[in-house]
Amino acid sequence: MTGLPSPTETFIEEAQEQIEGLEGQLLDLEKVASPETIDAVFRALHTIKGSGSMFGFVELAAFTHHFEDAFDRVRDGLVVIGPDLINLSLRARDHMQALLAEGLNGGAKALSESPEARHLLEELARLVEREGTTAPRPAANQGAATQDAGRARRWHIHFKPNPVSLRNGMRPDLLLAELEELGRLVTLDIDASDLPPLDALDPLTSYLGWNVVLDTSETRSAIDAVFIFADSADLTITEQPPPHETPLARQGPSATEPGPKVDVPAKSTRQPASSDETIRVASGRLDAIVDQLGELVIAQARLESLSKTIGNGELDTLAEEMGRLVASLRDATLGIRMLPIETVFGKFRRVVRDLSADLGKDVLLVTDGGETEIDKNVIDRLTEPLVHLIRNSVDHGIEPTDQRLAAGKSRHGTVSLVAQRESGEVAIVISDDGGGLNLEAIRRKAIARGLLQEDADVPDAQLGNLIFAPGFSTSETVSKVSGRGVGMDAVKTAIEALRGKVEVVSNRGEGTRITLKLPVSMSIIDGLLVRIGSDIYVLPLSAIEECVDIATLDCSHDSGRTMARIHDHLVPWLDLAEVFHGHGSGESDRRMVIVRADGLRLGVIVDEIIGQHQTVIKPFSPYHRTVEGLSGATILPDGAVALIIDVASLVRGGLASSRKAAA
Amino acid sequence: MQASETSHDADPQSLLTFGIAGECFAIPVALIHEVIDPLPVTPVPNAAEHAPGLINVRGIVTPVLDIRRKLRMPQRSQQSDGGRLIVLELPVEEVVTRVALAADTVIGVVDADGLTLDAVPELGARWPKAYVRGVAQLDDRLVVLLNTETLFSPDENATLTS
Repeated sequence: MTGLPSPTETFIEEAQEQIEGLEGQLLDLEKVASPETIDAVFRALHTIKGSGSMFGFVELAAFTHHFEDAFDRVRDGLVVIGPDLINLSLRARDHMQALLAEGLNGGAKALSESPEARHLLEELARLVEREGTTAPRPAANQGAATQDAGRARRWHIHFKPNPVSLRNGMRPDLLLAELEELGRLVTLDIDASDLPPLDALDPLTSYLGWNVVLDTSETRSAIDAVFIFADSADLTITEQPPPHETPLARQGPSATEPGPKVDVPAKSTRQPASSDETIRVASGRLDAIVDQLGELVIAQARLESLSKTIGNGELDTLAEEMGRLVASLRDATLGIRMLPIETVFGKFRRVVRDLSADLGKDVLLVTDGGETEIDKNVIDRLTEPLVHLIRNSVDHGIEPTDQRLAAGKSRHGTVSLVAQRESGEVAIVISDDGGGLNLEAIRRKAIARGLLQEDADVPDAQLGNLIFAPGFSTSETVSKVSGRGVGMDAVKTAIEALRGKVEVVSNRGEGTRITLKLPVSMSIIDGLLVRIGSDIYVLPLSAIEECVDIATLDCSHDSGRTMARIHDHLVPWLDLAEVFHGHGSGESDRRMVIVRADGLRLGVIVDEIIGQHQTVIKPFSPYHRTVEGLSGATILPDGAVALIIDVASLVRGGLASSRKAAA
Repeated sequence: MQASETSHDADPQSLLTFGIAGECFAIPVALIHEVIDPLPVTPVPNAAEHAPGLINVRGIVTPVLDIRRKLRMPQRSQQSDGGRLIVLELPVEEVVTRVALAADTVIGVVDADGLTLDAVPELGARWPKAYVRGVAQLDDRLVVLLNTETLFSPDENATLTS
């Protein structure tokens, strides 16, 4: 529970990231076999193998070793990249993920002996054996280093680990052993010139260096790969003239030969130049900062309101300055938590690929706006609903190929996933060019389930949204993929829990389009402060359409009528004084705020509108989590606690009680 | 993990005694974060009766717990001012949560070592048994040791229904 995660935890986290990244890289390879991507795959495999064995993930390391071997052939252009290879690689990747998840317990061993594992290993071994017999290597893959693979060459390697690297789990012995696997170690000398006298020796510091002369037919990049994660080591790799002319090991890193050899420091081979420098921070620490920031925003608001009361010019200037600083600090801090949404797009490509293969459909996933940034907490909780929606599109949306052709559509269906920033929100649109929703079937089903009056005249746009009602499904068959009638309401609940909205638009025969709107951040919202009796409440601005002066409305409600005509539409309303306090307010000159939730417009009547306010959301404790109509609390500039109204649950509660009354 | 980490250096055997409706109750000092004067309470509409509202304790939104309800005692009249808020930190559904307990008075700290705990006899009190660990004699008065785990559980049905 304390600050720093253990090295093993860090390894697991990093390996997970790498395995997740692999999925996208492999799918990229399927499209374009660029040498960069091949290298990236190779690098990831190599890193997982090396650090896996270092941290005791023996099975993972062993399996990855074979995978890596196979990819070595790919890298050398000896294996053609095609659907078979990608299929195999994706399955191997899944297996790695499973091995990692089983981790250090016994499960990994059992898993590594499973039929799937054996099958994968056989397939991988087949790739390796085919070496040299298959297709010509792709032109793009011809690096200078790989050109002359096959001929034994002599390399001089000077390797001196960074003095502190032992503390990070560096194991020079493993690296040297790995080097030995590449070919024949001609000489191996220890350079102990930096070794201090015994009394000054720090057992945690690395003092030694090694000079190795290696004969190998492997490529230069294979040697580089051995040291791929020997971070900031002092490393020189030089090709020697043919063995018979070569004087043996030289001293020090300066031992370079003139001629065709190049010195490459290890660092330059380790990472592609494009990657920014990053640090890894436990998310709990970030949460703590965001929390503190919330307090700061509140304190700043207090300062501002105080300075207004006092009316001192100098204080005003200071308060304003503080306001600016706090605002930019807030943006910067929230920015740290932001991740581009494409971090989950890779997962969706895989879903579409596997599912369309399963269903025998030809489906293409098009993504756009992957760079759109959104809070990590939101992303984490968004993945599952999105997977569900995409599965639905592929399974129910896209028609079977013969139907598509009969309808004059292109053979392959397209599912598109587009993210885009819209003021304070992120909109994610999942659309397909499939058959669209069967609105008639939905209407029938809704009537059968009592969700809709038989003679109700509901516009098509709202009919579509009925699929989000609990237990609603029009799918005739229960498929393994989706259509069990659960799901869409779970999607909606999940999105609403993120304070987001879902809307569906569908045209028969042309496809379905589902739009998710999500707040960029979970912790700060723009709200409208309203007063009900003596209490202040916050209405999230994102849910508000407009505010209306109630005096202009025909709103008497002694008759039991709770609707009013606003801009030619009948809008039902709720009196929040009654909802929250159980009795009418008795005040005159009240206001109605028109909010939208669940595709419904609803007026909520409050005693007074106070103004706009940016608010830090404090989630409720378990004591109040189940209270209907409220989603949390916040602290006002004067230090009082105000409650945040949850419009969606208010609407649901209103509907439920009106149905009860009608029954 | 326990609340004791964040409380003041207190002997786990120490008890804080406080008065509600003339009765003297006790809870472990280890749970106490601070004792403060009453703050304006924001009522939470439609909330459970034992957690009627929220207060702002130094920037932290804290639920105020009213144990009179749980112990089936008459409500305190709205007008009567004064009283104290005992701010506790306790694990609620495995998360350390800060809550404020409304008391009429705070009496003091006693050493639990010298106390002998007796069970409440049948018909001995209206209080639900699950909420009370026992009763001890301290000088010339009875001290009621409360069961903080059941008493402060957010889910009333989990412990008992009245």
